[in-house]
Order: sequence, then structure tokens, then C-alpha cells
Amino acid sequence: MAQQRDWVPQDVDISVPSMARTYDYILGGGHNFAVDRAVGVQIEQIMPGLRQAARVNRAFLGRAVRFMADQGIRQFLDIGSGIPTVSNVHEVAQSRDPECRIVYVDRDPIAVAHSELMLAGNDRAAIVHADMRDPESILASPEARRLLDFDEPVGLLMLLMLHWVDDESDLPGLLARYGDALAPGSHLAVTHASGDHQGREVTDATEVIRRSRSQDQMNLRTHAEIGALLKGFDLVEPGLVGCGEWRPEGPADISDSPDMNMLVYAAVGVKS
Amino acid sequence: MPNPGHSPDTPSPQPDAERRRRALARKWTYLLSGVVVVPLTAEELDRELGEQLDAVCDGIGAGQYDPKVLERVGDRLCALGYIGEPGLRCTLEVLGKGLLALPEFQPVESTAERIVLGLGALAVGFLASNQRAVIEQQESMQLSLFKAVRDAKSNLRESEARFDEVATSSSSGIMIISLDGQLVRANAAIGDILGYLPAELTGTTLFDLVHPDSADVLRDAMRQLLDGTETRIRQSQRLLRKNGETARISLTTSLLRGTDDEPSHLVIVVEDGTELMLLQGELKRQVLHDVLTGLPNRQYFGSNLEAALRRADPEHGVTLLHLDLDAFGMVCNSLGRQAGDRLLVHVAQCLKVVLSREKAMIARFDGDEFGVLLENSATTPDVATIVADINAELAEPTFVDGHGLAVSVSVGVVHRPSPDLDPTELLRAADLALRRAKTRRGQWELYHPDQDAHDREAQALAVSMPGAWEQGEVVAVYRPVARLADGATAGVEALLRWDHPDLGPLDHDRCAALAEQTGLILPLGEWLLRVSSGQAVWWKNVPLIVGLTAHQAADADLTNRVVRVLKETGLRPGQLTIGMSVQALRVPEAAENFGVLADMGVATMLDGFGGGAADLVLLDELPVRSVRLAPSPFATELAAMVHGSGATILVSGVDTEEQAASWHSAGADLASGDLFGTARLPGDLSF
Ligand SMILES: C[S@@+](CC[C@H](N)C(=O)[O-])C[C@H]1O[C@@H](n2cnc3c(N)ncnc32)[C@H](O)[C@@H]1O
Repeated sequence: MAQQRDWVPQDVDISVPSMARTYDYILGGGHNFAVDRAVGVQIEQIMPGLRQAARVNRAFLGRAVRFMADQGIRQFLDIGSGIPTVSNVHEVAQSRDPECRIVYVDRDPIAVAHSELMLAGNDRAAIVHADMRDPESILASPEARRLLDFDEPVGLLMLLMLHWVDDESDLPGLLARYGDALAPGSHLAVTHASGDHQGREVTDATEVIRRSRSQDQMNLRTHAEIGALLKGFDLVEPGLVGCGEWRPEGPADISDSPDMNMLVYAAVGVKS
Repeated sequence: MPNPGHSPDTPSPQPDAERRRRALARKWTYLLSGVVVVPLTAEELDRELGEQLDAVCDGIGAGQYDPKVLERVGDRLCALGYIGEPGLRCTLEVLGKGLLALPEFQPVESTAERIVLGLGALAVGFLASNQRAVIEQQESMQLSLFKAVRDAKSNLRESEARFDEVATSSSSGIMIISLDGQLVRANAAIGDILGYLPAELTGTTLFDLVHPDSADVLRDAMRQLLDGTETRIRQSQRLLRKNGETARISLTTSLLRGTDDEPSHLVIVVEDGTELMLLQGELKRQVLHDVLTGLPNRQYFGSNLEAALRRADPEHGVTLLHLDLDAFGMVCNSLGRQAGDRLLVHVAQCLKVVLSREKAMIARFDGDEFGVLLENSATTPDVATIVADINAELAEPTFVDGHGLAVSVSVGVVHRPSPDLDPTELLRAADLALRRAKTRRGQWELYHPDQDAHDREAQALAVSMPGAWEQGEVVAVYRPVARLADGATAGVEALLRWDHPDLGPLDHDRCAALAEQTGLILPLGEWLLRVSSGQAVWWKNVPLIVGLTAHQAADADLTNRVVRVLKETGLRPGQLTIGMSVQALRVPEAAENFGVLADMGVATMLDGFGGGAADLVLLDELPVRSVRLAPSPFATELAAMVHGSGATILVSGVDTEEQAASWHSAGADLASGDLFGTARLPGDLSF
């Protein structure tokens, strides 16, 4: 056959947790099912401050989008966008400039369905059901073609996303392909979980997820490994740092617990 | 934000009071923003909470206590974002202390009651609203779930509809065309007819393939289909072959509709009249063959396996290889799917070349997996040589899109399986061996742990085992397990015994090793589990121990087998102890099975625990209920180490009272051995 999808869409299977919904639970939302809450509770038992870390990541999302908007970026591609919760990229961006255009991407069918319902009627935002590991189907999707102009800089977001992609998938090659598709001046924002600081707890949590048979599985990387992934972009100050340490503006951006500020690393880079 | 509780005619507080209120609002913002997730910047939140604090103060202000105002503040607070319990707790703490200290509420004696009531009302308002929000969120998830299921189904229906079209109307080439004429899919037969590789057709339009003189007629036909005046149009058309020749070909065009019933694609079936006979043969081939490589597919392979097993020369037997390309995903990811397809074609070629002198059936399974069935002869090289030859051939780079690719395969091998083995079990055994080989790339792994693979006698014995089992020579026997504290029976361990007519009884370890070689262990092991579970229930639920071999432990079907047995026999999961050896548990699939069994409530046992670092890791990481110690000079230390973990400690080979006493003092809980009874038939035991 001449054309095929490179990836198998995830099943709609609510007997196993999805990390999109589990994350919503940890943030304090109700967009989840019992299976998701069950792993959420288990992970919280291992890392009692987890809600802090999730909040800090979500706050970084807001700062990163505002930072990009301040650099003149008006179009965003958010891959691994998850269940729309509070402070979604389009809300943050469009509150800066209603002209901002946003394309969300996720592979979780329920997250996608939810996003479609939520975005119905918003003609400047849309969601694509696709896998990050298949850049062509994202970049050439009707939604991306309609909303994004790849001759202009794009704000590409991959927050709490890359650690779901295993090393077999050639992550550096994938990021390079995204980089190639973007105009100079485009920005990339990334957050990525790591076991550098809470090794034991993070490993245990990873194990809980593994045993839950979720279709999302964690791939922990070190600071150096994550840094190496981003080498195609010039990182803006302060570089790759604990999420809470990336240009915090107030108590909403950090946690009292240093461990929870460092649980995920964050960076913003620019394509030169 | 306009706040209905904040009526404009409320007198403004005094400047000092005003300042103190602002300070309190800032504190509220500061503390709240550290525990909630809201879509507001710090300034926006500060402004919002300032207004809410004004409303609170007005609501409990002198002489005009109004719970409704406070309830609305609670409602508003909830609507800010994800506030939840942490946000409410923070709010009540900050306002509880803060309001009592505001100058406008002095003296406190006269306002405390209203403040307390007011905060209560705020909490009530918050609670009601929060409940509503959670229900709404849950409902929106239900809706999303339905939508996702429906979307998934409709994708499926769409592709099924396409497939039906293919299956029912085809005797040859098929193209799926988008409504604007772009070629979406084409099968290999189209390429054959027109002289293209399937990949070369990507990106062409239908009209690139049609002779210019025919294009108009075809366009008309498409229009009629779209108008709905016709549902299927058959025409004789001239198409262009790659070499420039014209082919007179009959085209049948029909319309495909999506779930919304809107036209979505056109299907064109191409018949090369001159080659109709050939094509019919081709179609048949396609059903049983993989279109890409032309090799038999898994169905074909599976259905021919049985015959090949029966037909095989009994002296040399057959060898089943299950191959998987290493790093195929990486090739597809970096060079694209089509490069991956070419690579698969190349691998198929290599396999044919390497095996050209053998009687071999080569098949493409799914994705990047291949199967080979070798009917061995006196001159067939050994497995190691064959795998090495395949990898040597593949190590020669092949050029795909200008990239020189050299790949390797991992191979699972079942060598000379018993001819009675069910083909599906055989394929599963090869698959298991492959999974083990996969952990080290370019490797192969024999489904056959025994080193003396060429020991004919052992081979013969292994091969005759299925027959013996059928004859009832292989039986289940039971060895009592006693509590060391008082010698009372604590359960039984189910074991295999082969009452061999010439060799006498062969014990469990020997039986398991023989069955492990040929794959027989999978059905035989399930049988042992089933009869012993039934027996244990009969014995009024006596606790049962069943140990597994490495391949049973890693079997993808293990948990299903256990569930099935428990269901059929009625044995409670907690009464069943399943043992896996520490070696077997190094394979991730086995560890996963272990975890799942534990989750099901089955008592899991770490068998052959020797106290090495890796064993300790297993003890630490897996849900271990009991541990059976391997014989060791450091028994006491081992027992102490395990004791701390809370797992029950079992020992075997306890033949004398002295041994029992020394184990007991070392901390062991349960024991088996001659002292407590040898393994016997169920009739010789009672409970
Ligand atoms: C924890 S959520 C992150 C949500 C949001 N980006 C944030 O940081 O707040 C991670 C999301 O990534 C999605 N995801 C994981 N692997 C993916 C892949 N390979 N392609 C697309 N989405 C993926 C999951 O479905 C999930 O919705």
C-alpha cells in the first residue's frame, strides 16, 4: 500500500490509566476516571509533594507562552497538550493577543475528544490526533496548514511530553525534524521529568506507572541527556534548570520544596 | 469582575482600614497562589481577591450580615480554577486570622460571631460550587469518552468499508483515490500491471496514469458517481505503463462514503484483461501472502506448520526460527515508512539467499518479524551457523534512498520440537525465545536451556514425552510442606513425575527440564496447575505451591492460564502460591507476570533465592509473599536478610530433625523434605 500511518492510534481503553487524566487529577481536577485516580493516589503516596510539582509545571507553561508572546510569537504548536485543564495555551496566548493561533496535538483519543469538544467554535485553535513521533502527519495536518504559517516563527511546546518517548524512537532525530520545519526565531519550550534529585521516589513512581499498564510509559533522563536533546536550539537564560527556577515571578511559580522545583527540568530555546 | 455582593452604596472603609484590607488581600493571594492552579497572573489574582475580600467584609459588616454574599464569594473562588481542598483550607486560615485582626472588626467581641458564620457560609458556597464543578467535569469526561469511542469506531468503519470494497470487487489491482484525484493507496498488483513499484506511485494522481485521450471519459464517470446518478461505473480505459506503453484495461470505479455518509474516496479496481487468469492466481496469492515481500504470511505459515511437523524427517526434525529486525523502528522514524518497506523486501531477499539450499518455508509475520521453518536434513548447518549466515548477509549494506543500511536480526529458535506439539504453542515458544534474544540485539536464543542439545538420548526422551503424558505416564504428585514451629502440615507442593517404563521414575526437575526443551511445558504446566488446583479444593482448600519454569514464567499467556484455572476449579487465589526462580525473573515479562499475579491475590514466591545483589533487588522490588532459599552455607544470614522483608521463608531438602531445628532457629517458617514426607500420589495423602 502506498501510504500508511507510521503509528498505531492508542486504544480507547479506560481499564488502564492515561497520564493525561492522571495529571489532571494531580493538578486537582475532575477530568479523570477511577483508574487514573488510583495511580494518582499511589504516586502521591510515594511523592507527597507531587501536586506542587504539577502546579509548578503548569505555571511554567504560562510563563513560557507569555515569554514567547513577548518575543512576538503569535502561533503555537503544543504537542502532548493533554486534557484541557486550567490555563491552557490558547487561553494564555489569546489573552495576550486574541489573534494568536494554536494547534494542539495529543495521541490520547479521550484527551483529543475532550479538546475537540472544548475548542468547538474557536476558529483560532484546533487539535490534531497524532503521535509526536510522526512529525510529518502533524506538520502536514489540515489543522496545522490552516492555522500555522511555517515561514513565520512558531512557539513549539512539549511540556511533560518527551519523557513518554523511549530511546528506540530516536528522539534527537525527531526533534531535529521539528527544528528543520520551523522558521528561524521559532521557540521551543520543554519540560521533562528526571530522577536526578528524587531518584528512588521517581523510580518507584515509574514502576507504579509500568504496572498500571498505562499506554504512556516513563523514560527518565538526566540533566545532561535532556540538555543534549535540545542542542539544536539556543537556550535562553537561565538554560535548562528545575522548573521552579526558570524565571519565577512569584509564589505561584515555585514550590516550598526544592525537590518539587527540580522534579522536572524546564528550558526555552530559540532556533537561530 | 463585577461582584453582586459589592454594592456601590457601601461606605468605603477608612484609609487605614483600607490599607489593612489590601495587605490581607495580598497575603491571601500570596499564600493561595502557592497551592492552587488558576489561569490568572499574580496581579490579576490579587485584583480578583481584593474584590472578593471587599465582598467578604461587606457581607459581615456591622448590622448587615448576609450569608448569601459570602456564599457567592465561595462560589466565585471555586470558579477561579483548580482550587480544591488545599485552596479552601488556605483561604479559611488566612481569612480566619486576618479578619479578626482587621481594625474595622474591632472590638472582636462584637464581630467574632459574624466572622465565624461568614466563613462558614463561604465554605458552604464553595462546597456547593465545587461539587457542581466536579460533576460537570466528570460529565464532560463521559461525553469525551463516548466521542472517542465513536470516533474510533467510525475510523474503523471507514477502513472496513474500504476493505470490503477491496475484498468483494477485486480480482486484481486496487487504487483508492481522493475526490480530487490524488492516489491515496494502491496495492502491489497495480504496480505490477503498470510496471511501478508501489512506492513510486505515491504522490501521483489518477490522471498521471491515464492516457490523455481517456481522461475526459473518466472525469465524467467520477462526476456521475459524485452526483449519485451512478454507484459503480465500469469502463475500458487506456492506462499508461511506466515504460510508456499503453495498456488497455478495464476499470471499475465506485464511491466510498464516510460515516457522515458524505462521499470520501473513490475506489478503482483495475483488471488487466489479458492477464486475467494470472491475476486471479495473484489474488489467491495475496490472501495468503504478504503483498510487500511476496512471502507467505503468518496465516499461511501457521496453517502449513502442522503438516510440515508431521512430514518432517523424524531423525532430523524441524527448526523454527522467529526473527525480528533490530532497530527497524529507528529506520522508519528517520527515513520514513517507505524506506522501511524497502528494507523489509531486502531482508526477505537475504533470507531466501541464505536458505536457498535448505528446505525452508520463509514467511513475513507482522511488521518487522519473519518466520522460518527449516526441515532439517543431514547436511543442514547448525542453528548458530544459520543465524550467523543471515546476520552476515544482512551486514552487507543495502542502499535505501541513498542511505547504506546494514541491519541485524534477533532470533528465537525452537529446535526439533516434539511433532505432537500444537502449532500455536510452538509459535508461542519461538516468540518467547525471541523476546529473550531481543534483550541483546543480533542474538539468538534457543528455546532450549539445556546445554547438551545434541545429546540424542535426551532429545529422544524429550520428544517422546508428549506421548507419555497422553498415556498417563506423567502424573501429578504432592509433597507435604510443614510448619517448622510445630511440624503441622501447612500445604502441599505439586510436582511432575514421569513413571518411565524403562528408566523408572523421573523426578520433577528432570520432567520440567525435558518439557522445557520442546515447548511442551506450556500445556503440561497448565495441566499440572489445573489438576493440582482441583485436588487442593478437594482437600478442603489446602494451600498449594506450584513452581514454574523460566518459559512458563515469561509466557505472555500465563495470567490468563491462571485465571482460567482458578475459575474452573474454584480455588481461591490466596490459597495458591506460584513460584518463579530468581533467574527466570530477570526477564522483564516474567517480572511483570509476577506483579500481575500478586495483584490478582495469588501468593507469589521467589524461588531459589541465593542472596546475591540481583536477588535482593528482586526481593525489594517485586511483591514477594514468600521466598524459597537455595541451599547455601550462609543459610542463617540469608534467612535473617529475608526475614526483615516480611516474606515467609521456605526451605526444602529437610530430611532430619536436626536440620529442621537448625532451620527453625535460623528463622525459616516452612519446610519440605523426607522428614515431612516424600512426593506421592494424591491417594496416598489425606487432609
Ligand atoms: C502530562 S500531559 C501534559 C499536559 C501539558 N503539556 C502540560 O505540561 O501541562 C502529557 C501528554 O502527553 C501525551 N503524549 C504522550 N506521548 C505522546 C506522543 N508520543 N505523542 C503525542 N502525545 C503524547 C499524553 O497523551 C498526555 O496527554
